[in-house]
Amino acid sequence: MSPAESRIDPAGLPAPDMLEPKPANASQSAPHDGDAGEPTGLLAPAGLTVTLQRLKAFYGEVEQVKGIDLQFRSGEVTAIIGPSGCGKSTMVRCINRMHEEVPGARAEGRVLLDDLDVYDPSIDVVAVRRAIGMVFQKPNPFPTMSVFDNVAAGLRLSTRKAGDLQHRVESALRGAGLWEEVKDRLSEPGAGLSGGQQQRLCIARSLAVEPEAILMDEPCSALDPIATLKIEELIDQLKRRVTIVIVTHNMQQAARVADRTAFMLDGELIEVGPTEKIFTNPEDSRTEEYVTGKFG
Amino acid sequence: MSATGHGIERFALTPARRRKDRLARACILTATVVALIPLALIVYYLLSKGLGSWSWSFFTTDPTGNTFFAKESIGGIKSAILGTIEIVALAAALAVPIGVGVAVWLVEYGRSSRFAHTVRFFVDVLTGVPSIMFGLFVYIVLIAGTGSSYAAYKGSFALALLMLPVVTRSAEVVLLLVPGALRESALALGAPRWRTIARIVLPTALPGLVTGILLAIARAAGETAPLLFTAAATFRTSFSLSGFMNSLPVQIYNDVTSPTTAVVNRAWGAALTLVSMILLLNLFARLVARRSRLG
Amino acid sequence: MGTEANTGQPVQLTAAQGRQHFQQQLQELEERALGGLDVVVEQLDRTLEALTHQDVELAQMVIADDDRVDGRYLEVHQGILSLLATQAPVAGDLRLVAALLHVIVHVERMGDQCVNIAKLIPLSGYQPPVRPEVLETILKMGAHARSEVVQCKAAFSGRDIGLAEDLARQDRDINRLNREIFNSALEIGDDPDTREWAMHMILVARALERIGDNAVDVGEQVAFVVTGLFREFSEQSGSIGT
Repeated sequence: MSPAESRIDPAGLPAPDMLEPKPANASQSAPHDGDAGEPTGLLAPAGLTVTLQRLKAFYGEVEQVKGIDLQFRSGEVTAIIGPSGCGKSTMVRCINRMHEEVPGARAEGRVLLDDLDVYDPSIDVVAVRRAIGMVFQKPNPFPTMSVFDNVAAGLRLSTRKAGDLQHRVESALRGAGLWEEVKDRLSEPGAGLSGGQQQRLCIARSLAVEPEAILMDEPCSALDPIATLKIEELIDQLKRRVTIVIVTHNMQQAARVADRTAFMLDGELIEVGPTEKIFTNPEDSRTEEYVTGKFG
Repeated sequence: MSATGHGIERFALTPARRRKDRLARACILTATVVALIPLALIVYYLLSKGLGSWSWSFFTTDPTGNTFFAKESIGGIKSAILGTIEIVALAAALAVPIGVGVAVWLVEYGRSSRFAHTVRFFVDVLTGVPSIMFGLFVYIVLIAGTGSSYAAYKGSFALALLMLPVVTRSAEVVLLLVPGALRESALALGAPRWRTIARIVLPTALPGLVTGILLAIARAAGETAPLLFTAAATFRTSFSLSGFMNSLPVQIYNDVTSPTTAVVNRAWGAALTLVSMILLLNLFARLVARRSRLG
Repeated sequence: MGTEANTGQPVQLTAAQGRQHFQQQLQELEERALGGLDVVVEQLDRTLEALTHQDVELAQMVIADDDRVDGRYLEVHQGILSLLATQAPVAGDLRLVAALLHVIVHVERMGDQCVNIAKLIPLSGYQPPVRPEVLETILKMGAHARSEVVQCKAAFSGRDIGLAEDLARQDRDINRLNREIFNSALEIGDDPDTREWAMHMILVARALERIGDNAVDVGEQVAFVVTGLFREFSEQSGSIGT
């Protein structure tokens, strides 16, 4: 064990230098031939930029997301805020192509991981989802599995060779700041942990497959304030190695956690900018009205 | 807002209310007792008439086919017990994979498509079909139609047809209870859909599935009518599924109308045996359900 | 409320415009802060009158009444802290709260400057040698300062940047008059009593000039609230001797 791994602060969070930021590759990958893309598996360089181009999402005939252009940069946390029903969750689910799992739902437009269009017909959906992880609102560890198995689930469920499971599970749990709390309980059922621990377990589960980006759909709304703060600190550390997009209803949380904030209303992107600007001097009056609580 | 004076009448328990409450309780209790009486009578009769036949030789000897002589020479019900087990086992082996498979398709793939609605409708219809129809169906198709003989496996077919809608329905209910969030999490991790079903959905639903299957088996084990036209009966213990085979329901059916008292008593003993086997299966189903919930 | 519950009428909760209570609190806070400017105007008027007629008693009243200004400062300050803690204002609301904090500080300083002037009055003695032209200039400065305070209040409550920027122009006049006083004092002659009086007048002028500067600062806060950008209004604040 390298000495770095033993330096954990009392909160159980990894010491900052343990999470080495991945070497910052050029945001543009090497020139590619046409847009054939990769047939299976994604070889996008670490710290990738996710770009939405004219993204639309439909439930049947209803247009929920009405043409969005937005970019999420690597090494940053971007928060999406907006009133209920504005389409923020839908938009985020289009990024890892979970939106199309709903019967009758479809998406148009492009979602680029660096240069790779995720909606290209030659791309394997499963591989996309391995590169872009997702954490949901309600913590949902697999009930029939132990803590260890939960974290390993992503590796086992994917077709990739699992490799050194023990090591990868441990590093994922460390990455989620959960290792110290569960290292003696690895074989206990995952559902036996507290709410905040369960959510961190889900984060570890996503981390185990080593994604390039993680999408979080209101990850703290079911948790108590202390668990929420722990996860916010975790997000702050994780952003160095994955691009993070977080949908949140809680504007204070967006203000604390995000580097950039995007405001959506009725399926459209109204404004996006540095979080500080959005919360001290937004450009659009609708943004101003929403963040000051005049509606929504 | 004060509770004194004008307010307190709202909270008081008046004699009229008390009377109504007691009357309602009495009615419900009466209904429960009335419902329990036949059950109690059945249990009483089974025990009083059947226990007397139980003995070691009862379970270990085949019925001899003699009906006119004394008790010692009429034999036991060994072939019936074994036959029931064999026929039902084969029926389960046929019905369970197909039934669970249909349920999986309905829940995971078909969902609310028109075809899925049609399938569900017909499955529901099948659950209401009288059991004798399955026997007749197999008889017409596999026996009278082809001119071949009765066989145990044909009886299994009939029972499998009987079990199929029950297994499908109960499996579907259990699979629907698996939270969608689990499927979503697995999909979001990059699992192909079939793996999600095999590794996440089915294991989570397993206790409920097992319970449903065991209950379907218990039901099939007690059906007489389908076997009458398909498996026929023989007195010898047989392990050949393509030949005639005895079974408990058929044995009971044949014995009950006999003029010999000893034979009739054997029927009661067999009935008690059948009920006990089903009871054991039910208890086992509960044990499985409880164990996996605690595990 | 008890009565409404007993009559069976449902208590109406309107969320037509969100955070009504908070908006109300914010508005009241602004009124209290800007009301401080009105008190300053009163104080200034009385000070100038005391100066004109050498009214030592009036001067004492001004000094005593500064407690009103200080009290208001504490009240608004506490209100701001409370609002920040309980309501977490953001964007425009946050800028307004920050601006009010600045405004109330300037109000308090303006009040202190009035007190400084008032304190100088008895020192000149009951019958000081008055040079009418100097006094006239002082009173002109006083009028400018008064008008600036009135205008900065109007600019803030109306969120009028134009009006706020105009304060810089007016302030240049005060600065010019301030230099005049200084130059007059230099040439006032050799009589020690007169020279002493002139020194006091320089201090009075300086105090009036500070009041003007504080009014301009309030104007700068107006621009901040509206645009979110903070910039100094004028480069030519002018120091004595330039």
